Amino acid sequence: MNLFSNLIAKAGETLHWLYIYLGVARITDLLDNVVVVVAMFGGTSLFVMFLVWMERKVSAHMQSRIGPNRVGPLGLLQTLADAIKLTIKEDIKPVNRDKIPYFIAPIVAFVATFMGLVVIPFDNGVVVQDLNVGLLYIVAITSFTVIAILTAGWSSNNRFALLGGFRSAAQIVSYEVPLVLSLVPVIMTTGTLSLNSIVLFQKTLGMWFVVPQIIAFLIFITSATAEANRAPFDIPEAESELIGGFHTEYSGVKFAMFFLGEYIAIVVSSAVAVSVFLGGWLPFPYLSAWPVPGFVWFMLKLLLMIFLIMAFRWTFPRLRVDQLMDFGWKVLIPIAILNILITGALLLFFGKGA
Amino acid sequence: MITIFNYFAGILKGLWNLLVGLSVTIKYCFKPVNTVQYPEVRMPLPARSRSMIKLIYDGEKDQFNCVACMMCAKACPNSCIKLEGVRMPDGKRRMTTFKLDFSTCIFCGYCVEACGFDALTFVSEEYENTVYRRGGLLQDEQAMKWVRPPHLAPKPEEVAPAPAPAPAVPGVSS
Amino acid sequence: MTDLLLSRIKGDVSSSGTDEYVVNLGPQHPATHGVLRLIVKLDGETIKQTTPVLGYLHRSIEKICENRTYPQCITYTDRVDYVSAMTVNLAFALAAEKLMSIQAPPRAQWLRMIFCELQRIASHLLWFGAFAGDIGALTPFLYGLRERERILDLFEMTCGQRLTYNYIRIGGVMIDVLPDFVQKCRAFLDYFDPKIDEYEDLMTYNPIFLERSRGVGVVTPEVGINCGFSGPSLRGSGVSCDVRKQQPYLYYDQIKFNECLEMAGDCWSRYRVRMRELRECVSIIRQCLERLEPGPVEAKMPPILKAPPASEAYVRSESARGEMGVYLVGDGTPKPWKAKFRCASFSNLYLLDQLTRGWKLADIMAVLGSFDLIVPEVDR
Repeated sequence: MNLFSNLIAKAGETLHWLYIYLGVARITDLLDNVVVVVAMFGGTSLFVMFLVWMERKVSAHMQSRIGPNRVGPLGLLQTLADAIKLTIKEDIKPVNRDKIPYFIAPIVAFVATFMGLVVIPFDNGVVVQDLNVGLLYIVAITSFTVIAILTAGWSSNNRFALLGGFRSAAQIVSYEVPLVLSLVPVIMTTGTLSLNSIVLFQKTLGMWFVVPQIIAFLIFITSATAEANRAPFDIPEAESELIGGFHTEYSGVKFAMFFLGEYIAIVVSSAVAVSVFLGGWLPFPYLSAWPVPGFVWFMLKLLLMIFLIMAFRWTFPRLRVDQLMDFGWKVLIPIAILNILITGALLLFFGKGA
Repeated sequence: MITIFNYFAGILKGLWNLLVGLSVTIKYCFKPVNTVQYPEVRMPLPARSRSMIKLIYDGEKDQFNCVACMMCAKACPNSCIKLEGVRMPDGKRRMTTFKLDFSTCIFCGYCVEACGFDALTFVSEEYENTVYRRGGLLQDEQAMKWVRPPHLAPKPEEVAPAPAPAPAVPGVSS
Repeated sequence: MTDLLLSRIKGDVSSSGTDEYVVNLGPQHPATHGVLRLIVKLDGETIKQTTPVLGYLHRSIEKICENRTYPQCITYTDRVDYVSAMTVNLAFALAAEKLMSIQAPPRAQWLRMIFCELQRIASHLLWFGAFAGDIGALTPFLYGLRERERILDLFEMTCGQRLTYNYIRIGGVMIDVLPDFVQKCRAFLDYFDPKIDEYEDLMTYNPIFLERSRGVGVVTPEVGINCGFSGPSLRGSGVSCDVRKQQPYLYYDQIKFNECLEMAGDCWSRYRVRMRELRECVSIIRQCLERLEPGPVEAKMPPILKAPPASEAYVRSESARGEMGVYLVGDGTPKPWKAKFRCASFSNLYLLDQLTRGWKLADIMAVLGSFDLIVPEVDR
């Protein structure tokens, strides 16, 4: 009897604690959030698996060959096979590593990029949480990857992994500036940071932001690929053939986490580009009569952007590290600032809408 | 002023060339592929393909064409061929054992060219010759036996150097 | 041996106070040049010294040739430069013919020219793919190989092999081409011409490629000539050094073609020279196909080829990489007393150290790629 009443008292205390500290009014609210987050997690993981398959197929067809086609129909289960292989691989750890940072780095890389998906509008109002500082939140979250990379490079106890980590961190930090600066004209025009509102603004404007802000769009795509350590900017990955990237000493699931984190960074950046510049869940121009839900338009545009980013990787050569930094600081930032000045001037003279 | 103009012109020119490059790869993305699905589709090799060396077995006379004249063994740069022959009671020579070590063979074709009795040939269809053990590459005359199908009878003008105008028979050392 | 090397490399500590460290770009490369080992002494990111370590692909071909008859040696010349085997076959055959005073018939000479130029196209396509892959673009490799497969189909149709042909023999060629070869060759050339434009679209003016290769690895003409540079790499510095023009062999003096020269001497010029040479090769093959006439393809020769006693011959020819020379010493027997191959890649490799001092690590790959090195030629 005593035990039972103690249990009830304990449960009541927990619920009271949840109410005070997490603002959960009813148990259904808590379950609501948990279900949404799990759905988000599951859906994105499946989507990333599909993306890895898509990258291999797209790169293969660009090179006049077929790509994965044996594992499952059209090779769709290839990523599953790769994931299983990575999971059952031996977890090789360097002996003199820094144990806790070594363990945490891949987790931070994975989680930080996942958190960016919380503010993406998949349809009108279909957002996990429509923060009114959505864009600021995304930019702040993507900076977490720098911490993950530096931690991974440091804790590996490998001189070359450290150098690779430094290089990669320098690249990400310097390309965040044009990333933010290219979003500023859009924010100036719409006056809001919430992604859903930006999409709605494009609806009232009648055209997508890519038309007046084509320069900002190009700067954004370039900075986004540099943020994800991809495409022409993958010196840390490629130099790993010669010296060592930050993920040299990781194997198995930990390596898979870095790898998946890179893909989710691509998804988040493309999703932001689609929402801000390409009209999010709005239908294509002249096709608004089609009875297709906004979610489908959003996914189509997202796949188009991701295809573009993949095409970058397989077409262009790599930039050397100092050329990369030159390009970021001496080309992208001045153009982005010029863009802000021109947009500001036009907004001043013509009121709203430029 | 000129340098500012060059700066922007350089950026625009670079952007245009990047787009041109992208157009090439994206164009190939939607064109048919250049490969075939190998185990299901086997591409036929040309007739002169130097794929696998076979000893020709005459089905009618029920014997190998080889007379053990040793020209192929002398022609081989790597000494892959070891053969023995015996003189039959009717005065003709016949081959008794023929061993070719494919692990050292470089498929140069000198043995096929040197043979004046149409005993060795390349069979272009047999190009999948992997073995699980290295010993499988030392093949004797039973493993290399091949009967020429009637439609592949050698035509006089297509035979690789016919014995009549004597080519430089390679590798005959004094 | 390694201790000796390392003791020579670990010189004095740099004056800037930072440590120098030695990195081994080991024999197994992701870059597609073969087994070449580079010991690179770095200061931060800047290269202080590059030492190539050779010998990982040494097969003692020259020694083996002393124990094989002249026709049997031709099978080994295929392996000296397996990316452009016809040109090495040709060089050896020309040297042996000079030694034994044999003249190949005209049809054989025209066929030799056609196959050598086709081989030059094939070699430049592989170089194009490897160079782009070193710089970071992974797709042009597949495009280059796709066209190269067509050329190899033409070769396979004629002589039976795709890599080690053993086709160009002493006194002529191995066998006459099939009746439909000329038409198939012309069809290939018509298919290939627009592809060169596509490759130029993809790479030549790509701003990233220009950044990586312009101004990198500049070879001045004096340095090039003094160090034994040759071939398209030297023509990228403006020096007219084509053996086909200076000492024409086969029938190159009866054919009109331009020597491609570029003045700047950096990686981009060497790239441009080779792309222009692709177009020149197409025009040469077209002219040769028109002048092909029926006839025998092999000279009348004694069954056992013997060199005159105490004779020697040196022949220079232009392979895809540069000047290929073969030196033969005959002693009255069917086997050469000495065979020496002067290979372009071995001489070109020497400049790698001088050109990369003070540059960054990524520039080693750009410079190596632009030299068009093939390690079997370096090591033999």
